Amino acid sequence: MALRFATQRAASRAIAKNMQVRGMATEKQIFNQIQATKNIRKITSSMKMVSAAKLKGDEGRLFKARPFNAWTTALCGEPKLCEDATYEELPQKCLLVPFSSERGLCGGVNSFISRNTRNIVSILASAGKECDIVVIGDKGRAQLGRTVGEKIIRSTTDIESPGTFDLAAGITTELVAAGAADYDAVVLIYNSYVNPAVYKQMYKVITPFSGEGEDEPMMEYEFEPDTKSEVMKDLYEMAITSQVFHSFMDAAAAEQSSRMSAMESASKNAGEMIDSLTIKYNRARQARITTELIEIISGAAALED
Amino acid sequence: MATPTTFWRLAGMSYVQYVTRASSAVRNAAKEPAKSKLAANSKFSYNASVWEGGVQGKKVEIDVLSKAGI
Repeated sequence: MALRFATQRAASRAIAKNMQVRGMATEKQIFNQIQATKNIRKITSSMKMVSAAKLKGDEGRLFKARPFNAWTTALCGEPKLCEDATYEELPQKCLLVPFSSERGLCGGVNSFISRNTRNIVSILASAGKECDIVVIGDKGRAQLGRTVGEKIIRSTTDIESPGTFDLAAGITTELVAAGAADYDAVVLIYNSYVNPAVYKQMYKVITPFSGEGEDEPMMEYEFEPDTKSEVMKDLYEMAITSQVFHSFMDAAAAEQSSRMSAMESASKNAGEMIDSLTIKYNRARQARITTELIEIISGAAALED
Repeated sequence: MATPTTFWRLAGMSYVQYVTRASSAVRNAAKEPAKSKLAANSKFSYNASVWEGGVQGKKVEIDVLSKAGI
């Protein structure tokens, strides 16, 4: 009789263990969730360390690119902040070149660039101005292709990092093939690295060095031989290449810093999730132990009777 | 269009192409170990595609400057 009771109790316990109460996770499920979250935390913290190491290299390249590109400030002006910009100074026909990343899990870098690019497109459209877009980077291509795809004329994706001046020369050749000389300005939109925690969206306006009469550029210089138009064409292409090089280095450093802080947040969130799941798991475990003790004690009490 | 006067334009190169070729020549002229250290500066690779009416065209791999802009 006692054996029959014990068998029945074991059977009912087995059924209760396999039965899932709707909306409530079992102990095993919670344990699996904890293990999965621990694995994710390991991945995100190793990604953070990899990004920190890559940021060091990208920062070094950016600090060399800044003085290399300093001469363009005299011709094209300083880069401007996208935040609260009115873009009134943009001319009738612009070629927009947004810089985005190739890989994801890098925080908001690509979303900010896409948003600013769409903002510029709508401001130019409302002012009766025209624009076309050449996208740099796969993430920007995907986001802008969905929203302003009809404006895109070229894209460069799957860019091998780290970037070099030859890459900037290639991108400039793509821009020239897209007709950069026929536009009134080339506008580079990129993320500018400030420090490992901060990056800002900036834009640069590069206008062709051409004009007649009063608009003729560099009137104070004499050109020997008198091939000013050729020199201006070469200078324009070199200015675009140098600016693209600097913007690419800046964007790469900003991407790594953003990825680092995104992975840091993800690791911290995973840690908090593990803590709350562990409490839930312990509660479920204690409930199971209590149930088993009650059954044993009830069974023992029944036997005594 | 006026006849070009600079030697790189006469050779069919833009100024940027001429500058990158000149830089590669200087890097190749360096002695070891600088030469192998600088070799990576000549390398780049990306895929370019032309868009028509909001639709992306075929991707073309570009790893030398002469292929770019086609």
